[in-house]
Amino acid sequence: MRQSDGQRHPTLLNSCAMAATSGEARFRIEYPFLPRDSRIVAVDAKAAEAVCRARARHWSGSAHFLTFVAPTPRDPNGTAPDAALRTCDGAEALLSKELADADVVVMVAGAGDAKAGNAKAGNAKAAAVIGRACAERGIMTAGVALVEADGRAGGAVVALRPHAMVLVVSKDEEDLIELLTALRA
Amino acid sequence: MIDEFCAHRGVSLWFGRNEERGLRCSYHGWKYDVTGQCIEVPSEPEGSRFCQKVRLKSYPLVKIGDLLWTHMGDPQEQPPLPEWEFARVPPEQTYSSRRWQECNWLQALEGGIDSSHVSWLHSGGLRDDPLFKGARGNRYNLSDKKPFFEVAEADGGLFIGVRRNAEEGHYYWRITPWVMPNFTMIPPRGDHPVHGHFWVPIDDENCWVFTFDYHPMRPLAEKELQAMKDGYGVHNKYVPGTYRPLQNKDNDYMIDRAAQKRGESYSGVWGIAMQDASLQESMGPIVDRTKERLVSTDSGIIQARLRLRKAAVALRDQGRTPPGVDPAHQRVRSAAVVLPKDKDFALACRDELTVRPGYRHASV
Repeated sequence: MRQSDGQRHPTLLNSCAMAATSGEARFRIEYPFLPRDSRIVAVDAKAAEAVCRARARHWSGSAHFLTFVAPTPRDPNGTAPDAALRTCDGAEALLSKELADADVVVMVAGAGDAKAGNAKAGNAKAAAVIGRACAERGIMTAGVALVEADGRAGGAVVALRPHAMVLVVSKDEEDLIELLTALRA
Repeated sequence: MIDEFCAHRGVSLWFGRNEERGLRCSYHGWKYDVTGQCIEVPSEPEGSRFCQKVRLKSYPLVKIGDLLWTHMGDPQEQPPLPEWEFARVPPEQTYSSRRWQECNWLQALEGGIDSSHVSWLHSGGLRDDPLFKGARGNRYNLSDKKPFFEVAEADGGLFIGVRRNAEEGHYYWRITPWVMPNFTMIPPRGDHPVHGHFWVPIDDENCWVFTFDYHPMRPLAEKELQAMKDGYGVHNKYVPGTYRPLQNKDNDYMIDRAAQKRGESYSGVWGIAMQDASLQESMGPIVDRTKERLVSTDSGIIQARLRLRKAAVALRDQGRTPPGVDPAHQRVRSAAVVLPKDKDFALACRDELTVRPGYRHASV
């Protein structure tokens, strides 16, 4: 600690103390919240149920709730493969278009049947396609792995981990709701 | 532990005389025993039983490790004694300090589970602090500034895992346990002692930060102890004779812009503890969370808030004992490990995240 330096270059005497009072806190400027464009994408059938249940809550119009369907030929504007998606209403959507305005993509994987090897491989492939597309565009990724009550992940964690910069492993769908609420989805 | 104020005229018993079997008020000599029962009112006549009708609120108090512990809830619900490892190892293996932090306890605690700030705010400490430097794991910290985060449920709260790239096919994981409601433990570095905190509310706008350092296997070295007393690691320096940090908001935390410019300190504030406290206090005494803009790397904080709220509601509505009370939840360790990329940190480190007497902590 170089007190002498601090004393030679004072900021303002007690400026930290003055700024941190309750009284001063009332004068902090209120900034409007610009909507954050969130894409919540289920990578398997079990997760799709949770995502569509989550959609029933109140969200900003900028949040889109989707399910991964299948990879498609390459997006002509990028190097990563594109993918077909489906909304909770059954409408078709395209990953590249959904990502055009996205700030964050939250991938959701369900534990599923641990013996269902194809399903596990499927959600890993879906997460890889989405993750690569996001990485190419500099879009933040998060993942929610919904595991069984006994903690079995059934491939959900392994599928999401390489591609989600933040991964929440949870037995409770409410964690997904809480994450989206905190992110102001 | 008894109420501070004498039942007679409200005088503080901080001024009391510590006499045989109790505390005597210095003003008029009323005396109380350790249960808060008044046992003497000198102004009353010989044989008077008036004192039997005067009793101060009291709580049981036990000393385990360096700390005094109390239970302030329903006596019928008193939990078993604490089992935290730092408080249970032999005295020569542990050291504790405490400091006053001038903000809400949860605001301070959230810094303990916010692993994403470490690469920035504390980057100088990994190179220079005697209680951190020299560990192999520091290389991974400094070479990978874009860590990935993983939050996993634990019986007592959460495990927050932060992974960075290590050798080919491996990740370096730093795993922070949060045990409800207010215990956090920092992942270890090399053979340095392990440290952590209890964040204890004083009121809505002030808290005590109890800080510990311990080694599960060996006594603390003299130079380690001296470093802790000198405020290194996660401890701090004090205004002499007080628990107030020497660097505090009244002296602008002795911020040193020149040191910041030289690259010695990311924020210009000296020491890990006060780097955290200065920023947390700057948020205001109790931050208005409706104005926050959380991002997904705040997931640990987001999940912790949810769990605290659910536990509080379950306690209120169903009388359910919150996580963290069970001594099994307290037998927890932090860990720093290198794992193959396909390993789930919480499963792979189940043993390492549990207190195992006679076994070294998992550290790189």
